[in-house]
Amino acid sequence: MTAQALIQVLASGLLMGLIYALIAVGLSLIFGLMDVVNFAHGEFLMIAMYATFGLVLWTTLDPIVVAPLVVGLMFCVGAFVYVAVVRYAMRTKANAGMVQIFSTFGLAILIQGAAQYFFTPDYRSIKTSWLGGHTLDLAGIFLPWPQIYGGLISIAAFAALSLISRTDFGKALEATREDQGAVALVGIDRNKVFAIGWGLGAALVGLAGTVLAIFYYIHPQVGATFGTIAYVTVALGGFGSVFGALVAGIIVGLVEAITALILPPTMKAVGIFALYLAVVFFRPSGLFGKL
Amino acid sequence: MNRRELLLAASALPLVGLTGAASRAFAQGAPEVVIGVLYAMSGPSAQVGIDARHAFETAAEIINGSFDFDMPTAKAPGLAGLGGAKVRLVYADHQADPQKGRAEAERLITQDKVAALIGCYQSAVSSTVSAVAERYGVPFLCADSSSPSLQRKKLKYFFRPAAQDEMFSAAMFDFFDTQKKKGKKIDSVGLFYEDTIFGVDSSNVQRKLANDRGYKIAADIKYKSNSPSLSAEVQQLKSADPDVLMPSTYTTDAILLVKTMAELGYKPKNLVAQASGFSEQVTYDAVGDKLVGAISRASFSLDLAARRPFIGKVNEMYKARSSRDLNDNSSRELMGLIILADAIDRAKATDGAKIRDALAATDFPGTRTIMPWSRVHFNEEGQNPDASPVLLQYVGGKFVTIFPDDVAIAAPIWPMNG
Repeated sequence: MTAQALIQVLASGLLMGLIYALIAVGLSLIFGLMDVVNFAHGEFLMIAMYATFGLVLWTTLDPIVVAPLVVGLMFCVGAFVYVAVVRYAMRTKANAGMVQIFSTFGLAILIQGAAQYFFTPDYRSIKTSWLGGHTLDLAGIFLPWPQIYGGLISIAAFAALSLISRTDFGKALEATREDQGAVALVGIDRNKVFAIGWGLGAALVGLAGTVLAIFYYIHPQVGATFGTIAYVTVALGGFGSVFGALVAGIIVGLVEAITALILPPTMKAVGIFALYLAVVFFRPSGLFGKL
Repeated sequence: MNRRELLLAASALPLVGLTGAASRAFAQGAPEVVIGVLYAMSGPSAQVGIDARHAFETAAEIINGSFDFDMPTAKAPGLAGLGGAKVRLVYADHQADPQKGRAEAERLITQDKVAALIGCYQSAVSSTVSAVAERYGVPFLCADSSSPSLQRKKLKYFFRPAAQDEMFSAAMFDFFDTQKKKGKKIDSVGLFYEDTIFGVDSSNVQRKLANDRGYKIAADIKYKSNSPSLSAEVQQLKSADPDVLMPSTYTTDAILLVKTMAELGYKPKNLVAQASGFSEQVTYDAVGDKLVGAISRASFSLDLAARRPFIGKVNEMYKARSSRDLNDNSSRELMGLIILADAIDRAKATDGAKIRDALAATDFPGTRTIMPWSRVHFNEEGQNPDASPVLLQYVGGKFVTIFPDDVAIAAPIWPMNG
């Protein structure tokens, strides 16, 4: 293995890591806000990929152009899921955690089934786009443009998130997270904040979906492939930590690439989870987790 | 209606459906033979299962109807040996999971009282299903799983009319030998295979053949199926740059592999695939432009229709259902059910042991199938030793037969990338 090949693998790992971070951050955000793990997170990604695919097919515009539409749509999907499902799951007094897990898990199965019924299990992919299939050649290091675009979008999204946290809305989110009862006293509508939080979380994973749709195949179970990675990313970075999701996403991308290089590639998931277990040993709440 | 009532009403619906189905089954007086069909109808490989369903329904139409095709069970309506009994198919979804396959096979045998089982595409699932079938003494026709290890267990109730990966891989290396004799350069091969029985068995056979016939193994990469990224794996292939890349992958990974190769600027000198993902139309719909000149082993070629016109008609019947042409997988599934029905017809019974004996006694020429096989019969392991495979090359947006010479309609383009 030459130095060039090593740099290639690390660069690919870094770009995928940034995309993993973007997929995971919505999950982390929702958890941080209300302590609910959304098990339908991968399915949100799948819906966004199908939406991108459908819009591209229908409008013949580029995936990058339809991305804002998809993100807006996913915001509505996220807010709707909170209002229609999660709000009820949170009302229970006993075993609240279990009820929330199973309601979002059930939702995931429902969405998968519906997708298979309406879209058939065929594998779709967007054939032509501005970036698809184009590669940047940096002295023998090949960086695919869709992944570069994904990495940049991810960085931009994290920058935007850090700005939001300074606005009034960001402060309302933070306050609701810290004391749901107290915010009601100062006139903040808890349900509204939660609905917007879910919308924001879904919009972020939706953004990741518009990126993935450019270079990955789309089918009803595609969420499962990335869902597992999103969960370990959030756990590694610390539940609820936005910055943790970014760092953990990059770590996961790099560890996956390096493990595939030095061990048989079938072991690459093992590398990620071994690292996670090592982190649990020293910091059970994840790298940047509060608690 | 409030929310609670709505939920109650919704939960009652499936029950209504169930009782309806049960009374239908009892109401039918006509004799019928029930065959259990086991495929992944949901999950990442559901697309293969849905295509398989169309293939089996086409086969059932041929068996139950009357068609002027020179194939067993085609001419007479239903199964003549059982008084014109119709074949009825019961589907089960194993989701590509060997344990679900085991449970579904048991359910089909004990509850649906199927006369025989057919399946399962994923070799890992066929492995557990064949064990259940053996225990209950119910014949299992393995239509489209190609792992050689399936037949090594010396099961009495296991039958595979199509070729397995030893036969397929031998054909590939025979082809390499011929090309070498013609002065083409083939020194090294690169093995790239997924981590279940299919990929592992396929690579074992290919590794042995390469060593026996003096080809260097430049890369030997086992990867995790359904990976989110194959960049590191492709980088290793690119560094090794074998003369022939030999992937054994299912559809999702085949698409991702080809996309990643293009992204990382790796053009394999030649690609000879162990079919599977590389014989699926969806793969070529997605990345066909990057696969010009790719070669895949196959059990089927539509080129044969020029010699046996009924193949074209069968293909039309299948296409009307699935809007696709028959391929390597769907052709084997369709033919598998016809071979099974022929045995039940000759057994004149739905008893497992009698069908098993009739299957073991199967012997008819390959010209009475839609396949390029020379003969249909089974050895003591339940394998058809004369299921001659072919190699197809993807040229000009379609597959052409290039090997062996007696069925080839075009000369191979080698190396594929000019």
